[in-house]
Formats: sequence, structure tokens, C-alpha cells
Amino acid sequence: MSAFLQATVYGLLQGGLLALVAVGFSLVWGVMNVVNLAHGAFVILGAYIGWGMHQEFGLDPFLGMFVSAAVLFALGYVTQRLLINLVVNGPIFITLLLTFGLELVMVQGMNLAFSADFRSIETSYAGESLALGSVRVPVGRLLAFALAVAITFLLVALVTRTRTGMSIMATGMDRGAARLMGIRARHVYALTFGIATALAGMAGAMIGTVGTFSPAAAGSFTLMSFVVAVLGGLGNMYGALAGGLVIGLVQAWGGQYLPGTWVNALAFLVLIIVLVVRPTGLVGKAFYAARLEV
Amino acid sequence: MTTSTQVPQQGVTGAMHRDQAMRLLPWMVGVLAVLGALALQSQLFLGQQRTVAAIFMFVSLAQAWNLIGGFTGYACFGQVVFFGIGGYFTAIAISHWHLSFWVSLLLSGVVAALFATLIGLPLLRLKGHYFAIATLGVAEGMREVVTNLPDLTGGGAGITIPTVGPDATTAYLGNEGFYVLFLALAALSVLVGGLVARSKFGYALRAIHQDEDAAAAVGINTTRMKVLAFALSGFITGLVGATYAFQQVTIFPQRLFDVNITVLMVIMVVIGGSGTVLGPLLGAVTLQFLSEFLRQNFTDLHIFILGAIIIVAVILLPQGAVNYVREARRTGEFSLLANVRKYRL
Amino acid sequence: MGSRGLVLASVITASSLAMAGCGSKGEEQIEGAASSGRLAIGASLSLTGQLAREGLLTKEGYQLCQDKVNAKGGVDIGGKKARLDIQYQDDTSKPDVAAQLVDQFNDQGVKLILSSYGSANTEAQAAVVERNGQVMADSAGADNKIFSKGYERTFAVLSPATEYASSIVKAIAELATPKPRTIAFLSADDGFSKTVTQGGIKTAEGLGFTVLDSQFFPSGATDVSSALTRVKGKNPDVIIGSVHLVEGVAIIKQARELEVTPAAFGETVAPPTPDFAKSLGAQAENVLGSSQWTHVTAGQDKYFGTAKDYARDIQAKFGHAPEYHNAEATAACLSFALAAEKAGSSDADKVRDALSGLDTESFFGRIKFDATGQNIFKPMSVIQIQNGKAVTVWPKESAEAKMIWPGTKQ
Repeated sequence: MSAFLQATVYGLLQGGLLALVAVGFSLVWGVMNVVNLAHGAFVILGAYIGWGMHQEFGLDPFLGMFVSAAVLFALGYVTQRLLINLVVNGPIFITLLLTFGLELVMVQGMNLAFSADFRSIETSYAGESLALGSVRVPVGRLLAFALAVAITFLLVALVTRTRTGMSIMATGMDRGAARLMGIRARHVYALTFGIATALAGMAGAMIGTVGTFSPAAAGSFTLMSFVVAVLGGLGNMYGALAGGLVIGLVQAWGGQYLPGTWVNALAFLVLIIVLVVRPTGLVGKAFYAARLEV
Repeated sequence: MTTSTQVPQQGVTGAMHRDQAMRLLPWMVGVLAVLGALALQSQLFLGQQRTVAAIFMFVSLAQAWNLIGGFTGYACFGQVVFFGIGGYFTAIAISHWHLSFWVSLLLSGVVAALFATLIGLPLLRLKGHYFAIATLGVAEGMREVVTNLPDLTGGGAGITIPTVGPDATTAYLGNEGFYVLFLALAALSVLVGGLVARSKFGYALRAIHQDEDAAAAVGINTTRMKVLAFALSGFITGLVGATYAFQQVTIFPQRLFDVNITVLMVIMVVIGGSGTVLGPLLGAVTLQFLSEFLRQNFTDLHIFILGAIIIVAVILLPQGAVNYVREARRTGEFSLLANVRKYRL
Repeated sequence: MGSRGLVLASVITASSLAMAGCGSKGEEQIEGAASSGRLAIGASLSLTGQLAREGLLTKEGYQLCQDKVNAKGGVDIGGKKARLDIQYQDDTSKPDVAAQLVDQFNDQGVKLILSSYGSANTEAQAAVVERNGQVMADSAGADNKIFSKGYERTFAVLSPATEYASSIVKAIAELATPKPRTIAFLSADDGFSKTVTQGGIKTAEGLGFTVLDSQFFPSGATDVSSALTRVKGKNPDVIIGSVHLVEGVAIIKQARELEVTPAAFGETVAPPTPDFAKSLGAQAENVLGSSQWTHVTAGQDKYFGTAKDYARDIQAKFGHAPEYHNAEATAACLSFALAAEKAGSSDADKVRDALSGLDTESFFGRIKFDATGQNIFKPMSVIQIQNGKAVTVWPKESAEAKMIWPGTKQ
């Protein structure tokens, strides 16, 4: 029983972090129909910034992640405004091609700038774990999970209660109508992308504390974002959280009760089954399929 | 008065001859291209033949993806699953069941097509992004399954096709043989693409792409058409995977089911011009050649440069090369800057 | 599409194909070494992709070898000096590209090949080397599987995969008091790691240890908590990880989180790398690891001196302490130099024969190949992280310090 509980706890904690990694990706795909293949690269860049802050200034990564967020927000805003906006009206998946090129440039750039060495951000408390009965709860992961959930709720609040957030939702639903209402679509798109990359950067900084990273890990984060975002329902913030938690739990339970190497196969099987049964994802709503919603 | 309403006889016959010639021209050019490629072989070293064979391989992969992703509009992000199934089926058939390569090749295509039909029936009901990711899930899941059946597939350690000694059922084709085989597959895929494009089947697929409900209303059996396109696409991809496996001799699941291969297929089709016959061909040749050239001559920075070139190319030609040329010829507007202005937000 | 467009398109296609064949026959043949004073060697390296880090270390090893050998004027081939000329290409960490590069080198007449990094890449290359009649010095492909196929033209300077975990087991059997009873293996599921695990289990059972059920996880996994949770209940005395860096760090980190505390941890590949101790800080203390080479390995040769000399040279040239990936790469290059000298020729068959009969001491240890092409004559070293540094604790002849046992504070 305690093994089951341990696995559940681990699964939830991991899932929360996955959700944070994926929520920006889901936002961008859902609102702007932009498939950002460079998403994982932004996550890793955020991890490097957090690591750099820790190296140079001794800044705790859970504070350093705000620096990551700020830097990556700026970077994302500029990227969307000057680069991706140029092809938004093109045929479907052209953004995929553009972000593919962007990913190559970013990953190689990080390889050259930081070398391919594996990095990790050391904190004194991250390795400690609290004891809940017979179950151990690692502090670092718990903190990351709590922050991920908090940020998701904050994002939902931002989108539903602020004018900026509303303009993002409106532009996502109907860009033409939004522009007629006086919303500056170029700016809103750039803002959305900036928010997405800021979240990716934060997730990256947190990931730096729980494991090791290197430029080559970018691709796996993008892949994971694909799965979690779609599982939950594209464009849906709660969906990303749901998707992340489900994947985290499935992998943790799978790891306990199946031979350890089947966990990934199980996760994909769950994805396929969910999509066949609920074609718009766990929480996605059919009417606004592929649009932002809460 | 009456003479002006009569159509001049010579004009009609002349026009008819011109039309026939125009229809045959693409096929003649295609045959010339294949002959040209065969002639090229004598000029190449063995290693260079292997490099060019890789270009042919991507041509067939891109053409196959175009059938389901370009014509029908169902972007399959898991296309590599057919590649892997074809490859592993051949590897298992030769190693465990001692079949000849040629038999395995054909069977691999059939098995891949059957698998496409099997997953197509439930998954082709999904739309757009969800279909894409569901197929991605299938591909990734299949890789994991293959990794976890080591007795059959060798698992993470890979499987080796016997090419020498008593267990080898077919003599290894060598770089020259694979050049010809991959060229044949590329020609086949372009042929199939061309035939589909001009046939009623192709029209049905394009109709489904443009408006699936309207197509169904007009009487097209959309499910049957979609599954057929998917199966055809899977068949060709499976053949290519089988050939690749034999060429590599030892195959690993991480390579045969690598999502990056699907990404490359999509990119080649999009950059060339999705939904056309020439687009995937041009995209595959250009991109593969470019990445080979850069890797050989700019060993330290090649990926960086490739990424930069792709970014520039996409910004200048967001609709893909072939579509750009078509639009430009029709409107007379060749300016790239005007093109950029047309597609930006 | 119009006819003109079609013709244009096929002309473009045909000409780009022709350009791919540019530099066609005759242009790129490289003359025999003796006449031009150059010994051409082809090296396909993983400069980008998953293996970029190790690929760079391998490149450094080759570069140092070239510098040192050429500093003495080159290799003495039949009385004339030939300078080493190693040509690098990037295989992007993919086995199919690595194999393609071997073919490309063959086109250019380069018959001596230095392997890529890792068993998968090397296996792909070995098949092509065999077909083309080239000869390969394997610096980093340790999986015994490569050498069970009857290949005769690939020679590995490094100890085989089966030794990686076995040496840790042997070290524990010899040096640990009180002697532990149970060992559990946690392994990644790639071919190399599985071979390592098999070798380790065989040695452990042979030495009288009780081996618990092995746990496997996907290669590259950052989360090994399931494997650890399953093993926790059985309370193994020793946990040995057949892993690479990422999983290796994950095991130690998560074992601490989950309160899995055997008497000691041993891991392959990861502990000797500086990133390991850096990533884990204090948690890395007393973890055992196995290494192909350390700076106290016994032996010396005329180009590199002793292991300590080699370490000094790497530090001077590249600004970091050497890892064993540097050393094994240099050793592979060194074998070519020594074999060409012995054969008095750069001809592939003669070099091949010279390699198969090579038996020499070097900064890397003893270089000699058995009938399958593996170097079973050089033992691996076992290190332990003490005060953040990897110190050699086994074999006793080269030990720098005593093994601290038990490794974890009980």
C-alpha cells in the first residue's frame, strides 16, 4: 500500500511540473494556431538562466525562475512580434517549419554558448524530503508542484479577469472581430507568446533543481508538451494541468506495477484512448475546438 | 457573318494535339529524370551514391506523407510508425523466419498498410491537431512496444539482419543496389502522387480537405477515402522503411521510430508546397541536399546555418516554393517582399 | 502546373543531384601516406546531438594524439616520417550517419577509421568497415555484441562492456569489510547497459553474492523512482547502476528523496565525470564508479609518457582535467600510429595485421587485442568520490586511497 501511495505522490508532483511545461505550449497552439517546436528549447534556456543566476549571484533557483520568466518573456515577445507574426497567415504548419528552424538555431546556440555538459542547480533543501507516514515527499518537487498549480490558477485569473487576458481570449476566438473591436492583434499575439515562453522558462528553472539538463534535452520537453497539451485539451489551462497530472500518475503507477520500461508505452496508450473516447481532450470543449477557453 | 461563327478546323486539331502533348509532358519529364539519375550513378563514388540514395529515400517519404497530409489535409505526426513497422517487419522476417528480402519488402508494405487501416478507422474521426497528436502517440507508443519485446525485436539493443554467412537469405545489395532501389521507390512514390492527383480519388481527397461536410453531402464516402489514402501512404512508407532496414543492417527502435523523421517529412512537404506533386519532391531534394552539404563543409556550425536558412526561407516563402511560383506566375507578382507582406499579420 | 514549370523543376532536380555528386571520381583521392608524408585517418564524431558532450571529449583525445605524434615529426613508416592527418566529420549522434561517413571516407581513399562515440554508432560503423576493407580503431564502443559477429577489422582499445559493473563487484569483494551479501542492479534498457548488467550479475554470482531481481528503466530516464521504490523493500546491501550520466544522477538524488540507503552505491560511466560530483554535491560522496582509465593507471609509452603526463597535457591544452573518454580516444589513435610503424606501411590490410598482433604498454595501460578484437588485457579501474574528487581505489597496485566502507551513513 505504501508503495502505491508513494507512487501516487511522486506521480502528482511530477505531473504538476509537466503541466507547467506544457501550459504555455497549449496556450500558443490553442490561441494562435502556432505549433511551437522550439518550446523545449525555451524551457532549457530558462533552466540555463536559473543555473546562471545561481552560479554568478548565488540566487536561489526558486527566485531565479522569476528572472528566467522575465528574460524569456522579452525574448518570446520579440520572437513573435518580429518573426512568427510574419507567417501567421500562411498555410497550416508553416509555423511548425519556422519554429523548427528556430529550434535548431537555439539548441545549437546553447550548445556553443554553454557546451553540452549536463548541468544541475544545487540547493540545500531540494534533496530533503518530508515524511507523511511511510511516504516520502521531496521538498524540491513539492515546491515545484505547488508553484506550478498556483501559476496555472494565476494564469486562468489573468485570462478571465483582466482586460489583457480578455483580449487574448477574444483574439483567440475570432481574430478579425477582435481587430474590429480595436484590439491590436500583433501585440496580443506577441504578448501571448511572451507569456508562454515566460512560463516555459519558469518551468525550466524548476526542472534544473530536480534533475539534470543539457541542450539535447530540449526535444523531449517539446514532445512531452505535445502529449500533455493535447491530452488535456488544447488552449485550455485547466486541461494542461489535468493532462500533466494524468500523465504523471499513469507513469508513476505504471512504473510500480509493470516492468519499468513500459511506462512510456502506457502513457501513449492512455493518450490514444482518451482521444478516441473524447476527441477534444479531457477538458476541452468541442465548440471552441482549438481555441482558448477556460 | 456565318464565317465568323465557324471554328477554324486547323485550330481545333492543333489545340487538341497541344493538349495531348501537355498531358504527356510531365510523364516524359519524369522518365527523363529517372534516366538522368541512373546515368548520374556512374559518376558517383560508392559513398556519394549512399548520400544520394538518402535523398531518394526522403523524396518517397515526403511524397507518401503528402498523400494523407497534403492532399487530404490530415496531418499525420506519427508517419514514422509505418517506416518503423516496415523496417522491423523485414528485419524479423529475414532474421527469424528466413524469408528473402524481396518477399519481406512486399509483405512489409502490406503490413504497414494494414496497420494504417487499423488505426485509421478510429483515429481519422479526429480533427486537425488531435489527429496529429493521436498518431504521434501511436508512433511513440509503437517504439516503446518494440523496445519492450527484446526476444522478437532485440529491444533497445537493436536487431541485426544477417547479410553474410549461412543465415543470410538475400545477398546484400551494396551501395549501388540500394541507390537503384531507393530511386525506384522515389519514382514509384512520385508516380503514385501524380496518378492520385489527377484521378477522381485525388479530387475526392481535396474535397475532403477543403470542406469535409460538403464532400460528404456531395456523396463522397469520406471515411473510405481517408482510410484508403492513409493505407496507401502507409504502404509506401513501409516499403521505404523495409529498404532502409536492410541497408542499415542493424536497426534500433530509437532510429526507426524517431519522431524527427516525421518532422523532416512534414517540413519537406511544407517548404516545397503542400498538396502538390512537385512540392514534396523539391522540398526533399533541397533540404536533404542542403543539410548534407552543410554538414560536410561546415562541420562545426552546420546545424546553426541550416536553422537560419530554414527561417529565412519560411519567411520569404510561407506558402511553399511550388505554390509561390504558381501564384507569382498567375499574378505576375514575383517580389518576395510583397509575398512577405501578403502573409504576415 | 505548366509544362515550362515542370521542365524547370526537373532541371533544378537533376542539377542538384549532379551537384551532390560534385567532386566526382578522381578529384578527391588522397595519395598513399609514404609518398606524401601524411597518414590520413578518418574520424566521425558526434559533435551535435545527444552525444555531443562525449563527442567533444573524444575529439580532444584525437587532437592531442595528433599534436604529440606530429611533434616528434610523425609516425615512422618504413623509414620515412608521416604526419598524422585526422579528418573530422559530424555524425550528429546517429548510427546511420556514422555509417554513411565511413563510406564517404572510403570514397576519398581514407582506409583508417577512428570510431564514433558509443556502442550503437560503432556497431553501425563496424559493419561498413568490414565490407569496405577499411580498418577501425574503436575508442568508445564497448558492447561485446559488436565483437560477436565475426568482424576482423575493428579493434577496441577499451575494456569490454561486461567489465564495467564487474570491476565494481570485484573491488567490493576484495576491499569491503564487512563483506556485503546482496546486490541489486538498476539498469537502463539500451544494449550497452544491458550487457554491462549481464556481466555484473555473472561476476557477482560467481563471487558468492546474492543478486536481487534487476530493475530496468528507459534509457535517458530522469525519473527512476519506480525502480527505487521496488528495490527499497528488499533492502539491498549494494545498489549498482548500469547507466549513463542522466540516470546515474537521478538514482542518487531520488534514492535520497525516497530514503533508500544501501551500504554503498556503485555506478558505471557517471561517477568519473566531473558533472556527477558537481550536480550532486555532498550526495555524491563515497559513490563507487568504474573507469577505463585514471591518472594513476600504470604504464607508459614514447609519445605520451605516463598517465600523469597525459593528464598534465590535457589540462594544458584544453583547460580541464582529463576524463577517460579523452584517454580512450587518444589510445585508439595511438594504436594506429604504433601499428603503422610496426607494419612499415599505411596499407589497410597490413595495418590490420599489425593491430591484431599488437602488444604494448602505454599511458592507457596494456594494449593488446584478443581474437575477436577486444582488449581484455587491460583491467578497468574503480574510483570512489572522496571529498568531491574521484580517487582510484582498485586495483590495489594503482590505488590512491583506501575504499571508504560503508559508503552511506547508516
